[in-house]
Amino acid sequence: MKRRNFLLATASGLAVIANTDHVFARALSQTPLPGLPGSAGRCLVLINLYGGNDGLNCVVPHGDARYYQLRPGLAIDRNDVLAIDARVGLNPGMRSLKALYDKGMVAIVQGVGYPQPDHSHFRSTEIWQTAAPDRYQHTGWLGRYFDESSGSLQNLFKGVAVSKVLPEVMVAEHTDIPAIPALGEYAMASDRDLLARRAFSQEARDRRLPFSSPYLAHVMEVEGNAQRSSEELPKLIAGYTTKASYPATALGRSLALAAQIIGSNLGTKAIYVEHGSFDTHVSQKKTQDLLLTQFSNAVGAFYDDLAAHGNDRRVLTLTFSEFGRRVEENGSRGTDHGEASPLFLIGGGVKGGLYGSLPDLAATNMGNVRYTVDFRGVYATVLERWLGRPSAGVLGGTFQKLPVLA
Amino acid sequence: MAAQAKIDVGGILRPQGRPDFSTALHPYAETLGERGAAHLLRRAGFGGTPDDVRRYAGMSARAAVASLLSVPSVDSIAPPPELVTATRPPAVAMDPMQGSMYAPQMPRRRPMTFRQHMQVILALQLWWMNRMLTSPAPLQEKMTLYFHGHFTTIATPLFPRITYNYNALLRRYALGNLRELTRDVSKDVAMLIYLNGAWNVAAHPNENYARELMELFTLGIGAYTENDVRESARAWTGWTINRRADTATFDPALHDSGSKTFLGRTGNFTGDDIVNIIFAQPQCARFFAASLLNWFVYNDPEPQLVDGVAALLRKHDFELAPVVSAILSCNVFYSPRAYRALVKSPVEFVVGTYKALGLSAIDQSALPALVQMGQRLFFPPNVAGWPGGQNWLTSGTMIARQNFLTQLLGSETLTSSSWLRGLPVASHGAARQLAQTILQGDVAPASLEELEAYLGGAGSAALASLSAENYDQRVSGAVYLAMATPAYQLN
Repeated sequence: MKRRNFLLATASGLAVIANTDHVFARALSQTPLPGLPGSAGRCLVLINLYGGNDGLNCVVPHGDARYYQLRPGLAIDRNDVLAIDARVGLNPGMRSLKALYDKGMVAIVQGVGYPQPDHSHFRSTEIWQTAAPDRYQHTGWLGRYFDESSGSLQNLFKGVAVSKVLPEVMVAEHTDIPAIPALGEYAMASDRDLLARRAFSQEARDRRLPFSSPYLAHVMEVEGNAQRSSEELPKLIAGYTTKASYPATALGRSLALAAQIIGSNLGTKAIYVEHGSFDTHVSQKKTQDLLLTQFSNAVGAFYDDLAAHGNDRRVLTLTFSEFGRRVEENGSRGTDHGEASPLFLIGGGVKGGLYGSLPDLAATNMGNVRYTVDFRGVYATVLERWLGRPSAGVLGGTFQKLPVLA
Repeated sequence: MAAQAKIDVGGILRPQGRPDFSTALHPYAETLGERGAAHLLRRAGFGGTPDDVRRYAGMSARAAVASLLSVPSVDSIAPPPELVTATRPPAVAMDPMQGSMYAPQMPRRRPMTFRQHMQVILALQLWWMNRMLTSPAPLQEKMTLYFHGHFTTIATPLFPRITYNYNALLRRYALGNLRELTRDVSKDVAMLIYLNGAWNVAAHPNENYARELMELFTLGIGAYTENDVRESARAWTGWTINRRADTATFDPALHDSGSKTFLGRTGNFTGDDIVNIIFAQPQCARFFAASLLNWFVYNDPEPQLVDGVAALLRKHDFELAPVVSAILSCNVFYSPRAYRALVKSPVEFVVGTYKALGLSAIDQSALPALVQMGQRLFFPPNVAGWPGGQNWLTSGTMIARQNFLTQLLGSETLTSSSWLRGLPVASHGAARQLAQTILQGDVAPASLEELEAYLGGAGSAALASLSAENYDQRVSGAVYLAMATPAYQLN
């Protein structure tokens, strides 16, 4: 009863503020980030297959006898592999992805990694997200892309992480990227926030604060972003209708939200989603096959949804995982932490096919697949050829790009 | 790590202007007052209860700091019961580098193993936060937290006792000798695992620890050469962990006993010698001086202040108690430059809120909130620790902070907070007391008016005036609003 009174009491006073801000937020949210001609409407979706996805049972070297020798209990039967050619094929759970591959929408890059591989989940995850194998860097490679490209641009949704915590890849120095685990979870829980917001705006105008702080401006800016983005997002994407049947999995829900954000034209340039855990030390087959099936089905639905709205050509999906796994299976029908592994680029802009080189199981690095493609070359390709921005500053160097994009 | 490791942290801001360096480190002569007392209690601990603030307000800086520095022996501190009853680590994970941060797929016959061990880590987090809240010596916990972010290690969930033992080591040295702490940290199981010292043997040196010891823990980049890293790694060989991974041992057979040249000196050095040589470098005192000023006073302190505190560290042979005492008692610490000049970390925000409300225990519900705010105890983001400053605050972590307050400020909390129960029923008095107790008056007059209007219904016709019937609802709302102001995010 009292709560209702409060809401009634504040409604009249705040309605004007809320409406004004809605228009403001819509205008801001449609401001595009700069990029080369053609890159304007494009979006990158990054899928983190966390835990260390076993590359050899994902993109299966079914033509290599060593694979079957080293994995007597884990190898995928030749007859079950979704063959791409006589040498490699996909895990049998990935029928939807294979269908996209057959349409020329999937590039598979094999043997991706970095020099002096680290076998710790924490450190290797950080390396992939910061693109800094040789130093500790607080910002992620997409965070630096936002800093570099957006300047003072205030678009609240230039990037979105569909996760509980902002992943390192989107940590920026000057750019506030919202982490939105699900639509309903990105919200101030209290109806007092309407009043808090008013108190804040008063505070921002009222210069009679009895202290100064180097961080005061930042606190106010982030508070304003948090209030505005959490209130505006549901309104800004309400007009979108999902036109695909997504699997009832966490990744399915994440990609459905990603499609909705993309289809609502908020000027979003990158979306992060995650799927796992692929840390299959024990009884790997059941777990990994299930996770890859979920991945493939969710991505299939995602591109159906995008295509139904005419958005499939402007969305590039890139996967990564902190490492592949040991070539030889361990004693628990699982695999231990390894090194290089394949990744996927999916979407209308992709030149489908196989890239990089097939893992050489005879010339491993102490039992691990050696890297033949530096992951920063993939990032450089995406930054320059998809997002239309220079990559050397973001990646701290120049890396060889791949011809994977049309 | 590879050769040119370098720290790149943005978002760390120094206050504008400059202090009077000639007197900045001289003792502060005034009585603290409520703002000074609250400031000291926030920095030297996790904030004060309203009673604490009143008690310290009448003291001189010297008396207040002396009281904070009297730290009890760590011998009486007992670990949480969950740790005592924790089972031995499962044999499957003998290589702690393979210890997972995700739930591994355990076979059916022991489906709970990983989760049970993770529960012990969660219990440790809660145990430590409650120590921060209730310890009679919060400075001891504040220094332990400082060292956790400085001499970083990450928990290996399958071995929770390693994590506890390391935390206990940091606490034992909270106000002890920095050189001795550095020496013991280097040989602790948690560190030997985290930075690969346990795999550093004469035949195959691993330079990871040797590098971070200088780059992040004692000197900073540029004060040593790649050759110094290699020679230090050789000196540290032989320190390893036993098969159960819960004690460190020195195995002479794995040690490289040859001659090493390190930072210009040559000899048959051991790890202890390396620490002694490092601490003889003038840069080492400057490195810790900057780090301590950054933690206690303000970020990115000026070189003049750093040199002043470095001289104190050398004078006291790296004993922390007299140096921390001097920092917490000096003019610049109580100056407007230092006041609210830091961003509260999530741990400071959460523990400080329980303190401010006068609550006696932190419960489980705070743990997921801390994850969303971006700080998991025992899981710093990398070996460089939490970067702090602006990096704590994004729209997502801000929402997490506000939602934590919403969750905490129910009527049950109100009932347990004695001072909130005693708030005046008149809205004018209530608003002023809230602003004073929660914010030490650090609120714009316009916001104070909003707070008063909310409490009393003034200015919002449909809002009933404050009464016994709506008291709980209204007061918890007002506390929320006070804690949603910018000053409350600042330390």
